[in-house]
Amino acid sequence: MDLLSNLALGFSVAVTPLNLLFVTVGAFIGMLVGVIPGFGPSAGIAILLPITLSLDPTSAIIMLAGIYYGSMYGGTITSILINTPGESATVASTLDGYPLARQGRAGPALVMQAIASFVGGTVGVILICSLAPWFAKVAMSFGPSEYFMLVVLGLLMLTVMMGENQRYGIVSALFGFAIAMVGVDVVSGQQRFTFGSAELINGIDFIPVAIGLFGIGELLSCVYEGNHREKPQDMMKVKMFGKGFWPNAVDYIETKWTMFRGSVLGFVVGVLPGAGATIASLMSYSLEKKMSKTPEKFGKGAMAGLVAPEAANNAASSGAMIPLLTLGIPGSGSTAVLLGAFLMWGLQPGPLLMIEHPEFSWGLITSMYMGNIVLLLVNIVAIPIFVKALQVPYKLLLPVIVVLCVIGTYSLHGSIIETWIMLICGVLGFFMKLYGYSPAATVLALVLGPMAENTLRQTLIASSGSFSVFVQRPVTLSLLIIVLIAIVFPIIMRIINKSRKNNRDIVA
Amino acid sequence: MKKLFSMSVALILLLAVTACGSKPAANDAKPADQPQQAATQPAAEKKEEQKAEFNYPEKNLNWTIAFGPGGGNDIMSRTIIDILKKHDLYSKDIIAENRQGGSGAVGWGYLNSHKGDPYQISSTSGSFITTPLVSDPGFNYESFTPVALMATDDMVLVVKGDAPYNTLEEFIEAAKTRDKKMAIGGIGAVNVDAILPWLLAKEAGFEIEYVPFQGDGENTSALLSNSIDAMMANPAEALGQIQAGQMKPLAFSGQVRIPQLPDVPTFIEKGYKSVTLPMPRGVVLAGDVPKEVQDWWVDTMKKVTETEEWKKYINDNSLTEYLLFGDDFTKYLEETNKVFRDVLIETGALKQ
Repeated sequence: MDLLSNLALGFSVAVTPLNLLFVTVGAFIGMLVGVIPGFGPSAGIAILLPITLSLDPTSAIIMLAGIYYGSMYGGTITSILINTPGESATVASTLDGYPLARQGRAGPALVMQAIASFVGGTVGVILICSLAPWFAKVAMSFGPSEYFMLVVLGLLMLTVMMGENQRYGIVSALFGFAIAMVGVDVVSGQQRFTFGSAELINGIDFIPVAIGLFGIGELLSCVYEGNHREKPQDMMKVKMFGKGFWPNAVDYIETKWTMFRGSVLGFVVGVLPGAGATIASLMSYSLEKKMSKTPEKFGKGAMAGLVAPEAANNAASSGAMIPLLTLGIPGSGSTAVLLGAFLMWGLQPGPLLMIEHPEFSWGLITSMYMGNIVLLLVNIVAIPIFVKALQVPYKLLLPVIVVLCVIGTYSLHGSIIETWIMLICGVLGFFMKLYGYSPAATVLALVLGPMAENTLRQTLIASSGSFSVFVQRPVTLSLLIIVLIAIVFPIIMRIINKSRKNNRDIVA
Repeated sequence: MKKLFSMSVALILLLAVTACGSKPAANDAKPADQPQQAATQPAAEKKEEQKAEFNYPEKNLNWTIAFGPGGGNDIMSRTIIDILKKHDLYSKDIIAENRQGGSGAVGWGYLNSHKGDPYQISSTSGSFITTPLVSDPGFNYESFTPVALMATDDMVLVVKGDAPYNTLEEFIEAAKTRDKKMAIGGIGAVNVDAILPWLLAKEAGFEIEYVPFQGDGENTSALLSNSIDAMMANPAEALGQIQAGQMKPLAFSGQVRIPQLPDVPTFIEKGYKSVTLPMPRGVVLAGDVPKEVQDWWVDTMKKVTETEEWKKYINDNSLTEYLLFGDDFTKYLEETNKVFRDVLIETGALKQ
């Protein structure tokens, strides 16, 4: 068995006391970094990369894998507790995670997200081991035209998370597209809406906008509603270690298939370079909402609405390792930093990496597996500490959160302009919440908009302006058909329902 | 949450402790007061000082890296800094800082705001020429004091491993005979990646569509998925693909072949004399610094290029060693700037 011997090799590399220590330390540091708003996996890895340079490559990558996973777990904690996603892939987790915390179910929410992340990561690693060569082939058939259709599909999924008022949701998404226009146009090299500012040439980053709209916006809204005057028990009911701290049987039963579906879906989308965890979490969330018997609960604290994106984004981050290891193509911000690290250690990324350095590649894969186990344990130990933090009166928590948001934003690129963008978005986020607009739609449009624009223009330049490319390439065509079904199916259903109702009316 | 805060404070301390243990990270530490002091001192006063008695260096060096961690510019800067430290070429401390943004506009803009300060230094790349041309950031190559050109980056034209053409001649022949234009990918719109295929097409007499991507990953997957016909690649990053047979190299844009790709001819060998446009990897000081400081750095950089570590860096990153010091470097920048400008005006990317 190829798989078993590969895994055995991996474990023999990863399971040494020293490497176990590295993965644990990495996971722990990663989690602490991830808890700071704005610090997701790619920022975490980039900051902590220099620490690993003094180690030998295998130990270094094992520690980085720990940091990678740790910061993903840590990032979700802020999504749930203070409604501030650390990266675009955890935006979907705020939708139900934060309402759960507000209902006093922060403990179960954190435990369930740790379990969902663990399941997602584990399913991902198992799929890597068994199907890596096959998935590498799939990833290789994806060019700009396929990505464009995939992003269009992602944008369609956006409508599911817009909340009750779709018109407001669409306005929110258009606002996100508008912000995305700022910066250098990749295709022509011309600057758009930069007003002569050097810091705007690279465009407006996702992180200041997300921290502002979600984190600061939520704070302002709490103050507006007078929540800060309430006793902590009313604001966030916390039960320590008693009944209600651990998820109950209903939570497990309700979400067991959600975890599985989210993991597989997340992995498949994650394998595609560039699409990654954000689209995976979006698709998983909307799939669960569509399949749920109680879709009206989504957005108000449904456990499945938290579990679905969490399982998906962790599985996607394992999936992203496939193009990196088998093709040498980085699929996300974090894996691009890892690719840079490979070069620093003198490893040549590319299709031969796994063949020439099997101990390195399989060591990395198994350490991801171990990282997952370590993090599940670390999380379950640490969750009471995080939940305990919620018992601090909200009026004392407020300034700390503001300081953390400002530090997180400023330390990303050391840019004061980005800090202002974050604060302005905070005020906007407050009004959006007050009048029922959707901040999630805005930030996701900010991420997906430029991808849609660039891939469409790349496709059309390469085809000399001919649209026929969308029906000539089989994968593009299949995705196009799925998009069309996704648009047309609900309309047909509505017509059928209407005519049925009419018929019934006539019969009656 | 209190706990959370104290945890993050603990984390920062932890980082500081670990950072001291590893060399590259130690560079990130920034003593806040020293650079400021250097900046606020009037330049004229400093010149007086230097005339009286030349004592250099007296202060810590502020090394601006105009790009993010892990990129080509970052790796080169940190390699040079390590060499300077290891061989005791700079007696004070060196503080390296990544000031990324706007394709170098932020970092070099910062250096430009420290005119006359002999303790401000930075490293260059292709954007050192292109960014001022296209985005008017308030400086160009003339705003700085040139020290040395250390190496150049050149690119390799690659097609997919199973493409029907094996040589540059076959590729050009196919481009001329088929109906559809050749789609060639590269990174960025106004960059060497875009200019090289354009120069080739012009000299060989065929038409292309240049497809700009944002990163190497996007570009590679577009080629492997048959979405584009060829791409301009960085040799260090494409080497793995070439060895595995996923990509076929057709020609190299340097003046001479590189040891990593010994069988790949240069465009010049194939008769396309104009298709070479080396991206300058060099070192510049802030503008208006005393001549003595410039000379001191020219001598020091000469020593750097003689070290084993430097040779290893050139080889590991598939760069071409290309040494020009002081005014020769300025002349080189002038010429490169003119080539870029002419091409950009001709392609319509630049209005003049």
